[in-house]
Amino acid sequence: MDSLLQQLERFSEVLAVSRTTHVSTWDAATVRRALQWARYLRHVHRRFGRHARIRKALERRLQNQWKQEGGSGPAPALGLTNFQALGHCDLLLSLRLLANRALGDAAFHYLLQELFPGPGVPGAEEGTLQGSLALLARRRAAVHMLRSSAYRENPVLQEDSLMKTQAELLLERLQEVGEAHAEGPGRFLSRLWEHLPHNNFLKVTAAALLLPPSSPRHQEEESELGNPRRAGERGRELLHWLLGKSEVIVAFCRNLPAGLLTSVAGRHPEVSRVYLGLLTDWGRHLHYDLQKGIWIGTESQDVPWEELYGRFQSLCQAPPPLKDEVLTTLKSCKAQDGDFEVPGLSIWTDLLLALESGA
Amino acid sequence: MAQDSVGLSSDYQFWIQKLSVWKQASTLETQQDTCLYLPQFQEFLRQMYEALKEMDSNTVIERFPTIGQLLAKTCRNPFILAYDESQKILIWCLCCLINKDPQNSGESQLNSWTRGLLSRILAAFRSDIKEVDLFTQGLGYAPADYYPGLLKNMVLSLVSELRENHLNGFNTQSRMAPERVRSLSRVCVPLVTLPDFEPLVEALLTYHGQEPQEVLWPEFFGAVNEAFLLKKICLPVSAVLCLWLRHLPSLEKAVLHLFEKLVSSERNCLRRIECFMKDSLLPEAACHPAIFRVVDEMFRYALLETEGAPEVLAAMQVFTRCFVEALEKENQQPKFALKTYFPYASPSLVMVLLQRPKDIPQGLWHRPLKRISEMLKEIVEDETQGSSGGPFENWFLLAHFGGWADIAAEQLLTSVGDAEPPEALLWLLAFSSSPGDGPQQRAQTMVEVKAVLSHLGRLLRSPTLSAGNLLAAAEESREGDPRPPACQQLTRRLLLNFLLWAPGGRAMARDVITLMARTDEIMHEIVGFLDQTLYRWDHLGVDAPGSRKLARELLAELRGQA
Repeated sequence: MDSLLQQLERFSEVLAVSRTTHVSTWDAATVRRALQWARYLRHVHRRFGRHARIRKALERRLQNQWKQEGGSGPAPALGLTNFQALGHCDLLLSLRLLANRALGDAAFHYLLQELFPGPGVPGAEEGTLQGSLALLARRRAAVHMLRSSAYRENPVLQEDSLMKTQAELLLERLQEVGEAHAEGPGRFLSRLWEHLPHNNFLKVTAAALLLPPSSPRHQEEESELGNPRRAGERGRELLHWLLGKSEVIVAFCRNLPAGLLTSVAGRHPEVSRVYLGLLTDWGRHLHYDLQKGIWIGTESQDVPWEELYGRFQSLCQAPPPLKDEVLTTLKSCKAQDGDFEVPGLSIWTDLLLALESGA
Repeated sequence: MAQDSVGLSSDYQFWIQKLSVWKQASTLETQQDTCLYLPQFQEFLRQMYEALKEMDSNTVIERFPTIGQLLAKTCRNPFILAYDESQKILIWCLCCLINKDPQNSGESQLNSWTRGLLSRILAAFRSDIKEVDLFTQGLGYAPADYYPGLLKNMVLSLVSELRENHLNGFNTQSRMAPERVRSLSRVCVPLVTLPDFEPLVEALLTYHGQEPQEVLWPEFFGAVNEAFLLKKICLPVSAVLCLWLRHLPSLEKAVLHLFEKLVSSERNCLRRIECFMKDSLLPEAACHPAIFRVVDEMFRYALLETEGAPEVLAAMQVFTRCFVEALEKENQQPKFALKTYFPYASPSLVMVLLQRPKDIPQGLWHRPLKRISEMLKEIVEDETQGSSGGPFENWFLLAHFGGWADIAAEQLLTSVGDAEPPEALLWLLAFSSSPGDGPQQRAQTMVEVKAVLSHLGRLLRSPTLSAGNLLAAAEESREGDPRPPACQQLTRRLLLNFLLWAPGGRAMARDVITLMARTDEIMHEIVGFLDQTLYRWDHLGVDAPGSRKLARELLAELRGQA
């Protein structure tokens, strides 16, 4: 067992080096050893996939390494983050070496011979590296072709394939980080927030919160691996982090499209409470311009009336519990404001009137 | 070899030109043309690789100075990269260009350039959306990690769009425009064999737009059919049915494919033929009358072309059996009237023929036989009756259910010598063996058969029963003239039945068969008879252990000899 863990550690180092310029010192023999290692670990993955004790030990070791790797970038640079990844570690190594221009000609030549033995080599078809690499190239072409012809971005954001895929990846990673770090994935998420473009990050977060409780892709793996955690639970941690970071939740409620927020609020009552709180807050910042006869803000960051109305309108189209909650909130605000029925005195009166006539 | 390389060089020029025209296959015309040539181009790449792998990279450049252009253009055509094994062969070709130990800057340059292309195909993928790249990298994922998931989501999204289309067809808002569906079907041509695409292929096949014309691209059907026949994809029967209903050439190809398989398989083995039939899904698909009619028509041509070859006849009977079985399984309440399957036949005759002998007690088999015979006789001999076709049409109908004629022969033999053989059975046998005969010839045949039967009956009771006697009884005609071939075949069949059924016959079966099998042709006929008989008995559950054992032994022995 110890030797197995050592092997794992050494291979992780090799994998980390494989995408640096250090590979310029590699010769054919180094490439051969690295590939042999990868094959060995893939064999370990196959062999011990259902062996809970060994799996756990290997996984703990991987997570320790990850932790040690520490806080440079947001991402686990290692590549080997869970037991599953051992199943295709040879593919990962091959791709890194193929793309690494620092690898010398002789070593590269040897790599190609190993990866692409050509036709007629016994067992050279599916399940081998040659097969997996060709399949990857084929899938790559397929994605390209679909995107450039028949595929359209789905206007319902959470159903868009690119969004959905990113959301699935995010949750998958969160689970691993959660297991590796005692404090949960909060720090990891904050680091992502610092490093990645905010708009896309928020959209992916919303899509992740809307994924069905157990997306089929994970269900399959989890039932096979006896892992009880579901997408829903991983989503909890994401939600927890989101609600705890006021800067993020404000950006979330302010920047995402109304329809998407309504869906998230409909699924997660915690979000709907915060969202309604923010909306009423934003509403209070507006005042009535007597000359123009409209509600306007005093500062540039104030939410315009049209947007406020649009968000409430979208919420009122949601199925009952949310819709009722929204109307109750609006009515209680109106009551606090003096319960006027005449337009121009309270924004809540005007919003309710507009919603009624618009419905 | 020299010949080959000349061929390769001229092909080379052709493909260089094609690739230049195709560019990145981004227009309708170039996509269409690329799809048309995909298999041929893959074959060319394969030959190219076979040539390249024998050379070092310097020789390659000497022999094919423009190889770089050829391969680089290929790398930029997604249709080629997506097709079958083309991407793999292309990678092999590129590997041949890598110099292990470059001696000068030119060689290093070539290495670096080739590595760029390899990366392009394999490693350095960038999706066209920067944010997505940043995000996945930020999470620490390589393209290889999320490609399968992304493709799966894209396919599922398209599938649900197609389904929605299907459901709210008139709701123009959510509709996928016909051009988009068409373009999707075109993109799928090189991809139908990629397992990730199976749900999409199925959704396209079962998708019907509101348009009167076919929206899907014909080459899409062709590609799916080809992949299905070569077992490169699995599709549910319903999708295959849609494919064949929507694209006649695919159906015809599927039937021809089945015929080819039957021809190249072992002769006279109905069990195997039945497996091929069921495996082809044709009997199940034939529950739809339009498909049945096409398949049936092709059997008719095959019979006409081979002048009623017994193998074709037997295959058609197996097909019909599988078809009837599928029909019963599919619908307790028939969706289509029988008339739609057999439009030229008398419906009442079809009804009687469709009865399964298995469902009738063995002792009563003579009743349906009698009815069949009488009905056929009435139709065939009444020349004024034009609606139910001529003799050939009716014989063709009977041939589907050939088991009845075989039972008739058996009935005559099992009761040999007991009483006068029933006229109806004699007529049925004479008609089934030679439908083109006029009434006079047929009467003649009936007389011959009757004579053979009574001769066999007499021999059965005589102490001088011998192989020679038996053969003489079957072969010598009553008046000494040689019988017509069809009649000879019929009497051979009677004798073979006699050998299996009569206790005295069984004892000398081997001797008689040795005498009888004078030519390979007759030998095959005997093997075919035994195989068909055993197959039929198995399905009817005929309980005749002695006959069965003998037939099995004989079949094994004769197959060994043949």
